[in-house]
Amino acid sequence: MNTLRKYFVLACLLVPFSMTFAADGEDGRHWRKVSKPILEKHCSSCHNAADKKGGIDFDDFYYIPSVVRRGDMWLKAIEMIETGEMPPPQKPRMAEHEKKALKDVVNKILDEALADPDPGASVMRRLSHREYSHTIKDLLDVDFNGQKFFPKEGSGGEGFDNSSGVLFMTPLLMERYYMAADSIIRKIQSDKKHWRQLVSTSYRPSILRRSINWIKGIFSEEVPRWAGPVSSARQVIVPFATKTYRGFLTQEEETGLIAFFDEIYFEKELWKKRDGFDQAMATIFKRILVSPAFLYRTEINQPIKKPYAISGLELATRLSYLLWSSMPDDTLIQVAYREDLHDPVVLNRETRRMMANPKFNRFAESFAPQWLGVEEAMKNPQADKELFPEFTGEVATAMRQEVIDYFKYVFNERENLLELLDSEYSMINGTLANHYGIEGIEGEEFRKVNVANYGRGGVLGMGAVLTATSLPVRTSPVLRGQWVLEQILGTPPAPPPPDVPTLEESEAADGELGLRAVLEMHRNSPACSGCHEKMDPIGFALENFDATGKWRNYYKGEVAIDAASVLPGGHEINGPAQLRRALARDKEKFAENMARKLVSYAMGRGIQFTDTPTIRAMKKSLLESNFNSKEVMLALVNSYPFRHRRSDVTDAYAKK
Amino acid sequence: MSANKISRRTVLRGLGASIALPFLPSLIPNTAAAKKFSQTGKAPQRFACLFMPNGVNPYHWSPEQVGTDFELSRILQPLTPVKDKLLIVGGLSNKNSFRTVEGHYTKTANFLTSMRITETVDSDVNAGGMSLDQVMAQHIGRNSLYPSLQYGIDRMRSGVCKSTGITKLYGSTISWPDPKQPCSLEIDPRMAFDRMFRNYVPGKKQVAEDPFKKSVLDIVHEDAKRLEKRMGIEDRSKMAEYLNSVRAIEKRLENQSSLEDFEAQITPDMRQELKKMDIRIDEWAEYTEGVDVTEKVRIMLDIIVLAFWSDASRIATLMLGNSASGRNFSFLEGVHDSHHAISHHKSDPRLLEQYARINTWHIEQYSYLLQKLNGIKEGNGTLLDNSMILFGSGLRDGMRHSPADLPIVVGGSGGGKLKTGLHHRYEERTPLANLYHTMLTAMDIPSNGFGDSTGELCELLV
Repeated sequence: MNTLRKYFVLACLLVPFSMTFAADGEDGRHWRKVSKPILEKHCSSCHNAADKKGGIDFDDFYYIPSVVRRGDMWLKAIEMIETGEMPPPQKPRMAEHEKKALKDVVNKILDEALADPDPGASVMRRLSHREYSHTIKDLLDVDFNGQKFFPKEGSGGEGFDNSSGVLFMTPLLMERYYMAADSIIRKIQSDKKHWRQLVSTSYRPSILRRSINWIKGIFSEEVPRWAGPVSSARQVIVPFATKTYRGFLTQEEETGLIAFFDEIYFEKELWKKRDGFDQAMATIFKRILVSPAFLYRTEINQPIKKPYAISGLELATRLSYLLWSSMPDDTLIQVAYREDLHDPVVLNRETRRMMANPKFNRFAESFAPQWLGVEEAMKNPQADKELFPEFTGEVATAMRQEVIDYFKYVFNERENLLELLDSEYSMINGTLANHYGIEGIEGEEFRKVNVANYGRGGVLGMGAVLTATSLPVRTSPVLRGQWVLEQILGTPPAPPPPDVPTLEESEAADGELGLRAVLEMHRNSPACSGCHEKMDPIGFALENFDATGKWRNYYKGEVAIDAASVLPGGHEINGPAQLRRALARDKEKFAENMARKLVSYAMGRGIQFTDTPTIRAMKKSLLESNFNSKEVMLALVNSYPFRHRRSDVTDAYAKK
Repeated sequence: MSANKISRRTVLRGLGASIALPFLPSLIPNTAAAKKFSQTGKAPQRFACLFMPNGVNPYHWSPEQVGTDFELSRILQPLTPVKDKLLIVGGLSNKNSFRTVEGHYTKTANFLTSMRITETVDSDVNAGGMSLDQVMAQHIGRNSLYPSLQYGIDRMRSGVCKSTGITKLYGSTISWPDPKQPCSLEIDPRMAFDRMFRNYVPGKKQVAEDPFKKSVLDIVHEDAKRLEKRMGIEDRSKMAEYLNSVRAIEKRLENQSSLEDFEAQITPDMRQELKKMDIRIDEWAEYTEGVDVTEKVRIMLDIIVLAFWSDASRIATLMLGNSASGRNFSFLEGVHDSHHAISHHKSDPRLLEQYARINTWHIEQYSYLLQKLNGIKEGNGTLLDNSMILFGSGLRDGMRHSPADLPIVVGGSGGGKLKTGLHHRYEERTPLANLYHTMLTAMDIPSNGFGDSTGELCELLV
């Protein structure tokens, strides 16, 4: 906190006076003059720093950029003021001229904000544990499971673990980074052939050199130094560090690394040891692997006000971490160096090349389970072991794999993202087929199987999703409905009002059996009906899948399951197939949600109001290309935020 | 009876919660720290916090009588053996938790900060202030090898809650060394144990410290400084995190005298305990990982006991579950659903009964820790006497998500500073932070208050 404040003060001093006010100046004064009296009169008595009703504090918007940052909220606020929903009935009405003045000034600000493209803040990102593992694999050909070794982390943005805001560094993690580097380098050293790929020739002082050093040592205290080992070291260190740091070394960096070799090899007298050179090199490698230049993806912050295009290498790095969760390969580095990666022809060519590489599988492995929110449930399944003895760890692992393989297939082969929602097939193996009650599928390997006759197809028929949205002992139509609204359609229901019992199904006398009656009663309450009318019917349609995703026709083998329900708007459905089809018709929402997820994943941050044009463009791409997966990825990598950066200094005045 | 035998029995019976109370280490010698401080006659104070998710059954938590003559409530029954070393405090509220629509996560992150968290998915994660344990770590933890330990049982929550616009990581962490940065949580008993004790387990291969580690850490500072020059404001604060983390390791490397003290105190008796612990962790990993959560909790608690005993650390937190934990508690007799689902009991007597049983399991784990600490002599008293072991939840009734009248117990008197054997009730809505302020005072840590505190709870001080 203090550090930050210090930097802020520092930045304020550094930013030229004119620049700070150019961005806010006249417009800012106008904004405050118009908005402040109205907000203070009508809004701030509830929406203030202390009460913060609805999570809003209208004292928070002194500067224009802070208005833009919560542009979505402002649009909603204006809408509510216009419809008379706000201020609430018991408060004095807002006069027409006040409404108009506020609306005009807000709209003007937001329109202008969108007129100037804004890539949003891009804070440097520490490698996620997944990215660390893949980068180590590509850099050193060592298998290292960072997700197991490092302390577990949370997620941000639209729910991904690569979000800059939640990638913290802590003493414990730093300790583990050191241990990881140590064990990775040891592992390579233990395999001579592998080590020689890294350090092609070792340096050994000649007998003559050793004698000279010995004689010098008699007459002088001075540490002996000579050129041979340094130039051998330089030949290895410079290319290795360049690759590891994902950028060309500055002169300072190179000098620093060589000086460190000098210190270890000469001053710490490693030269006297038989394998001294190799030991020194191992230490240098470790040092490079714990450097912030490796652990963080940094981009140069230019001290200019307007957003600017990032460098070719920086773009290459964004691209490879998006598609491969890892560092750029040699080809991409060459392209970034020799060609213009910002040129759409070059960028598209490289993106297509990278999507055809097996390393692109990592995108599905990372993106799909996180998007669907099944990661936690599959790694730590809570289904009751007595009630569901057949739901083993092996089944859970297979379920997770189904999600990934299905996503890969849809993305790479079918190139149609709408099939994520609705299709007649899935990717299953023997274990899963057995769990699903599908006959004739044996063996470990996952393959495409037509599952339409089993009520499955698309993510809603997947065990991982069905289990993750159930309770340990029973299904929950509410949780399943909520999941579809949130993860698929991107329209999460509002949280239950305080003191109203939330998704309470437990009241049902016989668990699942009487659930429907209870929920229907529940929906009679006006406080609940708004959201439950949307959630519950979706869940009812999936009741044929039990809490571990197995098909069933009866509760407890006796009462027939009723999977018929009515979606909001009066659309009648019965069972999972009709539900899938209904959802797949809601293309607009699905496309928008997909666009938001992809932008958030690529940028490592949450979606901001200024991303609106990008989201719109990607949504359009999806709708017009029949949800073509490759096209939308091209739209993403060509988008303005993906290729640009906003200087952090100009953001300073937006923060109080 | 050894710890190993207990663990096997636990496994065999598949229960865990209903077993007899475990061994009391009557043979354990005086603590290492006590020896170290015997000249001054003053043993160091320790602090630990056990966090319980999802609140309590409000009808079976508070003892009926206040004062020193009180009967333990149903849920608190397992604490009977250490009843005279308990301080039960009623009526406290974490007031900054009221101002959030979200039910769980935001009332967890601020459990030890008593400030308001920033509702965000990622861009400005903020718990409002430093947490109590971290303030203590800065003062009394500073000189031990590990200024503080943060343990958990479950993987950190992944994902974000879209309807309330927050990252779920808020639900997995109570320790904040900086308002904007949570600590990492260690959830693997093997790693937690090895970090401190691996090199002292008899017969175990030692891991030699890298001779150049210090040189390497020295030099990466320069990298950070160089990178900073071309960075923006936000990036610099990230770089500050990096530098602080490097410094924390360097400090331990430089702190040779603490290491020597620590090593000198690892007596042969303690080595035997470490060996038992080592085997027990292996057994747990081999046979019951993912099955027996009770044994996992107890291993983590025993590691805390070992750390306090050897003075490797003086401050620890343990999350017995993430907030809104859906742990399946069917391993308890008569319990048939997930913790979170049951905590929304809707006043159904059957669910309230199950809720009370789950709460009791948590208190049993707490009691296990207190009894272990109480079994270790230190000076004229026990290790527990020199500690303050806080147990609590960010909610009272899980159905209401209310942060008023929180379930709070403190075990141990912090070296005779706090009254014990007492149930004291405060007026509704007395800030929880007042207790924290009082605890800081008990540790002689100067403060003008803590979080949203309005004063100290003088009635609790001796």
